[in-house]
Amino acid sequence: MNISPDPWVWLAAFLTLCVFSFLYKDNILYRFAEHLFVGVSAGYLVALTWHNQIRPNLIVPLFVEGNLLYIIPLIFALCYFGRFVPRLNHLIRLPIAYVLGWGSGVAIPAFFQRDILRQTQGTLLVPDAFARWDSGLWAVIILVGVISTLIYFFFSRERKGIIKPTANLGIIFIMLGFGASFGYTVMARISLLIGRLQFLLGDWLGIIR
Amino acid sequence: MRFLSYLTKIPRRFIFLAIALAVAIPLVIPIGIPVNVMPQSKRLFEAVDSLNSESKPILISCDFDPQSLPELYPMLMAITRQCYAKNIKVILMALWPQGTGMVEMALDELSTEFTKEYGVDYAFLGYKFGVAAVLLGMGENISGVFPVDYYGTPVDSLPLLRSVRNYKDISLIITLSTGDPGWRQWLLYAQSRYRARLGVGVTAVSAADVYPYVETKQVTGFLAGMKGASEYENLVQEKGYSTGIFRATQGMDAQSLGHLLIMIFIILGNVGYFYARRQK
Repeated sequence: MNISPDPWVWLAAFLTLCVFSFLYKDNILYRFAEHLFVGVSAGYLVALTWHNQIRPNLIVPLFVEGNLLYIIPLIFALCYFGRFVPRLNHLIRLPIAYVLGWGSGVAIPAFFQRDILRQTQGTLLVPDAFARWDSGLWAVIILVGVISTLIYFFFSRERKGIIKPTANLGIIFIMLGFGASFGYTVMARISLLIGRLQFLLGDWLGIIR
Repeated sequence: MRFLSYLTKIPRRFIFLAIALAVAIPLVIPIGIPVNVMPQSKRLFEAVDSLNSESKPILISCDFDPQSLPELYPMLMAITRQCYAKNIKVILMALWPQGTGMVEMALDELSTEFTKEYGVDYAFLGYKFGVAAVLLGMGENISGVFPVDYYGTPVDSLPLLRSVRNYKDISLIITLSTGDPGWRQWLLYAQSRYRARLGVGVTAVSAADVYPYVETKQVTGFLAGMKGASEYENLVQEKGYSTGIFRATQGMDAQSLGHLLIMIFIILGNVGYFYARRQK
């Protein structure tokens, strides 16, 4: 056992135990750690916004380097504060419209490429997929899964005839997807616990390497 | 039979304690449960392993914070160790401000294991705000987006970055991502738009979402949570690239026993539930 002499490690260990104490019941130590976290996060965010966004992207280019073009983003940014003055409330639409327009223009073609075109290509049964029997089988399962799941979300026709069993098959695929996601979520949560215990048993108490 | 009806009333605190013990004991007394390497992890390892000192550098983006440290930090360490051992040049950056702390910690830890020269063997660009603008800008001119590195040195003065203009000069991008911004944005802008080769390391929560992109080969390979990190560590150890501490591998016994116990509790809860329903 080789207990850490570092006071910061002790502080982190104390806060970890404060948060874990909630598992027994809500208490003042847990609330102290929670409030401290919220306060530190808020302060960190303010400092981060100033040093990483406002100062290098507006203050320095406009007021230090004298680049007057930056007056335009400054005016746009000030429009956001129109929200606080009822007569100027409408000004907020300008920067929001700009951000939405730019963002949509940049993202929509890329989204189409990433999620529609390439994913549809990946679902098609191409000869290469049948180079091995197992990859061919998976390709067929993916195709059946995609079609049956899409039919489950097709609400324009009454569920009878061939649509009913296909939609029911879609439910099975959806449930399998939920199951996989839940399994991975459990894994993630256990990983977080392992990380904290590695810190407590290793970095703090020195029981493990 | 009273025992069966009790199964639905196991105290919550008992379950917490049991899971804590199931996770803590294997950390202190390792069992050595073997870890099978999944094909997608091996693909990422092989993509990195196919490179050498003459190859274009690798870009690793640390898009995570301390909250995801148990899952993603071991990935960062294992991939960087492999690159260092093979003399592959590494460029590091972050889309999350807290990611810079993770990178500094890793570089500090690795400096005791490898002797590498900053600016020649590796470089750290730091964090930049504005995801879409950053990723699109890097597709045109990296030094336009990052005129100076994390330490304030002009990137044009770093020998490693003089030959790197945009994604075309990077052999592989690996994003270690805990959410947004992260792998989705890299896939959207760097891969879909600029056809950059992309590897992904994600927390287990996001893992199920990545599979469709692996199937279509939009993602070269990917690591899922602590298990993926452990697989990568095993591959790095097998090749003899490092003899350092591998934290994800240390945690896998605890992971397996934790899962086993949760499965037992789920089965017991269901048995108790169906028994109680039959009694009504």
